[in-house]
Amino acid sequence: MDLLSYLGIGFSVALQPENLLYCFIGVFIGTLVGVLPGIGPVGAMSLLLPATFKATPEAAIIMLAGIYYGAMYGGSTTSILVNIPGEAASVVTCLDGYQMARQGRAGPALGISAFGSFIGGTLSILGLMLLAPPLSKFALRFGPPEYFTLIVLGLTILIYVAHGSMPKALIMATFGIILGLVGLDSINARPRFTFDKMELIDGVGLIPVVMGLFGISEVLLNIEQVIQKDIFKTRIKGLLPTAKDWKDSSGPIARGSLLGFFLGILPGGGAVISSFISYGLEKRLSKHPERFGKGAIEGVAGPETANNAATGGGFIPLMTLGIPPNVVMAMLLGAFMIHGVTPGPLMMKENPGLFWGVITSMYIGNGMLLVLNLPLIGMWVQVLKIPYKILFPLILLFCLIGVYSVNNAVFDIYIMLIFGIMGYLMKKFEYEGAPMVLAFVLGPMMEDNLRKSLIMSQGDLTIFFTRPLAAAPLIVALFLLISPLIPWMGKKRQEIPKEEIS
Amino acid sequence: MGIGVCYGGYNLRLGTLHNPDSGFMLFWAGIIMFGLSLGVLIRAMREKAIPGELKKVLWAEIRWKKIVSVLIALFLYATSFTFLGFILGTFLLLTFLFKAVEPQSWTKAVLGAIISTLAAYGIFQLWLGSQLPKGFLGI
Repeated sequence: MDLLSYLGIGFSVALQPENLLYCFIGVFIGTLVGVLPGIGPVGAMSLLLPATFKATPEAAIIMLAGIYYGAMYGGSTTSILVNIPGEAASVVTCLDGYQMARQGRAGPALGISAFGSFIGGTLSILGLMLLAPPLSKFALRFGPPEYFTLIVLGLTILIYVAHGSMPKALIMATFGIILGLVGLDSINARPRFTFDKMELIDGVGLIPVVMGLFGISEVLLNIEQVIQKDIFKTRIKGLLPTAKDWKDSSGPIARGSLLGFFLGILPGGGAVISSFISYGLEKRLSKHPERFGKGAIEGVAGPETANNAATGGGFIPLMTLGIPPNVVMAMLLGAFMIHGVTPGPLMMKENPGLFWGVITSMYIGNGMLLVLNLPLIGMWVQVLKIPYKILFPLILLFCLIGVYSVNNAVFDIYIMLIFGIMGYLMKKFEYEGAPMVLAFVLGPMMEDNLRKSLIMSQGDLTIFFTRPLAAAPLIVALFLLISPLIPWMGKKRQEIPKEEIS
Repeated sequence: MGIGVCYGGYNLRLGTLHNPDSGFMLFWAGIIMFGLSLGVLIRAMREKAIPGELKKVLWAEIRWKKIVSVLIALFLYATSFTFLGFILGTFLLLTFLFKAVEPQSWTKAVLGAIISTLAAYGIFQLWLGSQLPKGFLGI
């Protein structure tokens, strides 16, 4: 079958009324959580996962994916109008977006970020469509040793790009692996660290952990201080960028699309990193770098395009290899599993409707987002005015019910609260949650593939080095792990957070 | 924790390299965790700390009572969830949360709690079909 036939299958699924409705709900909620500071796409996806239990797998994944890329669109609104990023990938948009708003150019800033997001998002879907089929075929050559080393590489890159201390990120990843191994051993069904609790037999739930770390902890951080939201009081006019704006932004949008897409594929990459790197790149390439931070439209167009392009790229390792490259994709992997679908090289063959339906729904979703974010911008500005004292009890309530309704278990609420406190303290002491969650999801897969590899090789560890496809990721991972000990590499790594702060 | 995980892994049986058992991965993960934590601890002890600096950076101007009271309310909610039931428990929790962090009138807090509870009940119980506890009141 050629690409057009696959697209036909995809659109026939994505255009079904139920799927269109779920797509709309997804992008709408995505924009909403992007606009509202205090709850990000991961929290929103875990909150709404129970709501998809009655839906078909196609509708569920379409909606959850919509939340992810919708949040990327919505996040720019708060960055530009309030100077508070709605979610992490829009942090860098504050620098020039807010300055543009102060200069009376909030309209073009919002406009170019919506158009850039649309172009970046659409191009990345095109890339996903073209790259996923050959990669799926290639991935069929992978055995347990290759999967094991790929997971090691994924976790290593995530640790490498983590802000601040690498040992702290490694500790979090190790803790995540240990946490992921709680429950019955998948090979011999022996209970591990269950402490005779029936609730732990199936392991610790992903949703309570994620909601605690990313939902409850965020609320606790927000209520510890009085948040002053200073919405820029200006009439938003002229959302359509001028010819000069387009001329200035076309390069950043093109580069942001490519950069975001390829960084999205890399494990540990994703929307946040691609937006920062895009900003740094545009500043370096600009003839007038001194304009950056003072309202340069390139500083909005590049990062906003890149963070949306990364969303499409992130689907590639998940849908072709079954390995999530970041926390959001880990959540989606959880959703796939709950709906009885195993993402990986065979998914395209076994579930073509789901595979292509999700991809084509993203075209439709991006179109919906353009409508939601341009003509309806006034509505989102109103949402921004909701005081946090009203918002935070509702976020907590949704976290509580969301967690409870997965298994109808109060035990999950306790788990969520414990991880909420832990997440709060982790942020205080600069320990990152992302390596932990990804390791938590990948831990069982990692163990399974390690044990299978050792059984295959009869205990010969060189199996990871004698097979080229397994050796390559392992060598890269080892290089990254020892790189902080190499003076010039260590210095380079430390420059990333400094640049972000400046 | 690293030592505990090592011990737990060892008790679960390590197996051999030919046939790793349930505790194999946990044992090594525990060792790595212990080693890394020791490294971070030694590094932190070597750094010259300015007295009171850490406290100032992490905990200055924090509304402690608000955080603790919210957490206590959430744990109480979880503990009494099955007994009180969704509607009563949620109404009490929300009234407290609306009133606790930023002062607002009782009327607004109670009205907000009633509307939010009923809306959440409508969405989760009636629309999505979640099985929320009815509690001693049976509602």
